[in-house]
Amino acid sequence: MEHHGELTPIISLRHVGKTYMSVHRSNEVVRDVSLDVAENEFVVLFGPGQCGKTTLLNLIAGLQLPTAGEVYVDGKKVEAPGPDRGVVYQTTALFPFCTVMGNVEFGPKSRGVDKKTRRERAQYFIDLVGLQGFENSYPNRLSGGMRQRVGIARAYANDPKVMLMDEPFGHLDAQTRYMMEAELEKLWQKEKRTVVFVTNNSEEAVYLADRILILTNTPTHVKEEVRVDLPRPRQYSDPAFLAIRRRIEELCDDTL
Amino acid sequence: MKKKLDVEKMTYAVLAIACFFIFWWFITTFTPAKETTPGPVEVIQLLFTSFFEPIGSHVITGHLLVSLRRVLVGFSVATVLGIVLGVAMGASKWAEAIFKPIFELLRPIPPIAWISLVILFFGIGEVSKYILCGIGAFTNVTLNAYTGAQNVDPELVGCARMLGTSERDIFFRVVLPSCTPQIFAGMQVALSTSWMAVLAAEMVGAQEGCGWMIQRGSDTLNITLVMVGMIVIGCVGMLLAAVMRVIERRLCAWNIMES
Ligand SMILES: Nc1ncnc2c1ncn2[C@@H]1O[C@H](COP(=O)(O)OP(=O)(O)OP(=O)(O)O)[C@@H](O)[C@H]1O
Ligand SMILES: [Mg+2]
Repeated sequence: MEHHGELTPIISLRHVGKTYMSVHRSNEVVRDVSLDVAENEFVVLFGPGQCGKTTLLNLIAGLQLPTAGEVYVDGKKVEAPGPDRGVVYQTTALFPFCTVMGNVEFGPKSRGVDKKTRRERAQYFIDLVGLQGFENSYPNRLSGGMRQRVGIARAYANDPKVMLMDEPFGHLDAQTRYMMEAELEKLWQKEKRTVVFVTNNSEEAVYLADRILILTNTPTHVKEEVRVDLPRPRQYSDPAFLAIRRRIEELCDDTL
Repeated sequence: MKKKLDVEKMTYAVLAIACFFIFWWFITTFTPAKETTPGPVEVIQLLFTSFFEPIGSHVITGHLLVSLRRVLVGFSVATVLGIVLGVAMGASKWAEAIFKPIFELLRPIPPIAWISLVILFFGIGEVSKYILCGIGAFTNVTLNAYTGAQNVDPELVGCARMLGTSERDIFFRVVLPSCTPQIFAGMQVALSTSWMAVLAAEMVGAQEGCGWMIQRGSDTLNITLVMVGMIVIGCVGMLLAAVMRVIERRLCAWNIMES
């Protein structure tokens, strides 16, 4: 299968804009964003803090609605949240009253998948993210990295068409972060999905992305796109890697 | 380490109670109060004999069971109604607009104030007693369920929506479990409130119960009996609170952080 290119895109934004209205003022956060993401492509949205990355992701998720333009996922216009899109939050947002197993099987259970099937499926992803043995633990007993693994397994177990990840490793310490990046990449190689990944860490962007979209400050739009064609798994100290990193940082800096 | 601390705490608790009894004994033996106030020995004697010599129609365990039944029925019904109303007010703007003003208006009225009205409408039978025991519990549970439901993390609800959970399932699998710790905190206070209200509930038209015992004691100037009633109410109240804590630990295990 082609990696990206002529296939019909699975995510498609057409002249999308978002303006937050309040009584006192209106705040235009996203302006005229058009982009396509091909099936099984790993796209990173890279932009400065507070530039509207989360807003853009929420528009694809359907958690917020655009004030201009349209968002299509798999050919259908996005008008509400739905299980064809999986979300991994920076804050993890695990259900604190569910065990690890309860969290991972939450989606399939909601959609009426029978117990045996959903347990097997949940167990598969729990094993895949390396949490075997913690099935019956509650989230408040887990470390930050482990919680993020549960979040990823939960999104995967619901079998979404596209994965939306909002700085999932933003709160982790550097060491855990490297480990999680490597594991996410392995997981993605094994269970190919379309991923839209938000970050403001250039190293993370270059390590993971097929394609990096550089966003400007608010009102945000796509300033540039940078393809990363390095073989995986990538080496952080590889000169080509560092060159791309420098390039996207400069592009991003110019926008400040 | 933890075990040792527990033992230490227990020792202090026992010592404190012992000191209280010694103080009581001292006051009622060596000061003028001894003319009017019964000492611990008399009270404990009466407490023991009351296990086989009936006071009024029952021995003391009979009175205790009667009171417990009144409290538990009132408390349970009040808890269910309180959870329904509180969660409804917290989850729906309409329910909040309709019920909150009435609730806020009625909330400050203490259960004792209701006695005459309740008797007027429901007579002096058991129903009145259930209601009087339940009123205080109802306000406590409602209020806690309400704040609990208001503070459900919107991110969790959004997350459930993304996973394809129906609105009905979101209510039962996200909103309700999110407020259980708060509801339990309310139920603990509510149970003691109900148990305290038993005295008021048994003040009029009752022939049995711990509250009645105290009432009867003060009518016949039998202070020893009043004190026996007080001790029983105190001990059972303490036990009920402990039982609630055990149930809470079971149901809200996910919310308990161990240091
Ligand atoms: N629900 C909302 N209502 C009003 N304004 C909002 C809302 N969400 C975000 N904003 C505004 O939109 C702008 C961009 O916010 P957003 O969270 O999308 O940026 P971000 O790039 O994800 O930021 P961060 O780097 O902190 O994650 C901010 O100025 C914020 O105040
Ligand atoms: Mg953000």
